[in-house]
Amino acid sequence: MKNRILVFTLSIWLPLVARAELKWEQSQVELHPGAADKEAVGHFKYQNAGDKPIHFRSVHSSCGCTTAQTQKDQVLPGDKGEITATFKIGDRTGTQVKTVTVETDDPAHPSTVLTLKAVLPELLQIQPALITWNTGETPQPKTIVVRPSKDFPVKELKVSSPSPEFTTKVARDSGSGEFKIDVTPKNTTHPSATALTIQPEGSPKIFYATARVMPAPPSPATTPATH
Amino acid sequence: MKSALLRQIILLAAAALVPAIGEMIYFRDRVSWHSAIPASELVTVEQARAWGDGAMWVDARPDEDFARDHVPGAILLNEDRWNELLPQFLTAWSPEKKVIVYCSAQSCNAAREVAKRLRDEAQLKNVFVLEGGWEEWLKKK
Repeated sequence: MKNRILVFTLSIWLPLVARAELKWEQSQVELHPGAADKEAVGHFKYQNAGDKPIHFRSVHSSCGCTTAQTQKDQVLPGDKGEITATFKIGDRTGTQVKTVTVETDDPAHPSTVLTLKAVLPELLQIQPALITWNTGETPQPKTIVVRPSKDFPVKELKVSSPSPEFTTKVARDSGSGEFKIDVTPKNTTHPSATALTIQPEGSPKIFYATARVMPAPPSPATTPATH
Repeated sequence: MKSALLRQIILLAAAALVPAIGEMIYFRDRVSWHSAIPASELVTVEQARAWGDGAMWVDARPDEDFARDHVPGAILLNEDRWNELLPQFLTAWSPEKKVIVYCSAQSCNAAREVAKRLRDEAQLKNVFVLEGGWEEWLKKK
């Protein structure tokens, strides 16, 4: 009977002793960077709640766009610190979820996954980003729709084509706030292309759409006549 | 008596090991909310090679990685400079060609994101993600 009590006590006590000593204040961080921000930085705070020092073995992120740094390699008992995860926003949009894997010599939890969620603002939606005509097609206008985000209303849109081969006309629907860009090639007798620049009034950010008159598709290979 | 005690300790340890192994297998290499790329959108290095000139390679890695080395003929298109790089790609794009997007390592989402944006924003069809990414291409070079 005594042995059974001993085993039961051990089974409760041992896991408590072996529990993770590095305690994280939070393993998930949600960020809402502004439209002008280039980076989103998440801070993951921890404390060594155990009685032995813990060493970081490695810290690596799930994506080349995120870097993670530890302040120190060793965390003494009772010490606090943080891991900083820096997410490069670039031209990304929407909700981005990146992870950072932290490996330590803590035998109970050798690996911890930290999650950085960044909800990025989308200034404009351009649909489609590419319009094409085939060589020889009637050079009629084709439309690109630009939808400004509700959080960033746009009153005017500057659109220009660096190539004189294409002309543009912009119209705003006052009801929906959408813009329609009609693009027309001067002719479709030969291949041509332009990257239209689209710039909301008062914004330094430039967006692009591409218009192309496509080369004629390669003709099917002809087999030489045999006699 | 001693053997009974030992048996009980082993039993308890085994019972604790079962969920631990399950968790290790389930969460290995990834977090659970990462949706897998549908098989129809993936292409192996061998398949991609077989397409020959009928394929266009897109490098979704950061500029520095592309500058170091890339698949011959690949066009740089990453989300760091998406707005600037997309027109360059679309000017070179040809509807007859299949587009193969790659990034670094299987855990990387960059290729999947770039492929998705090409389908959604430029409305391109025949856009594939290279299985195993750049490392797999290097291995089978």
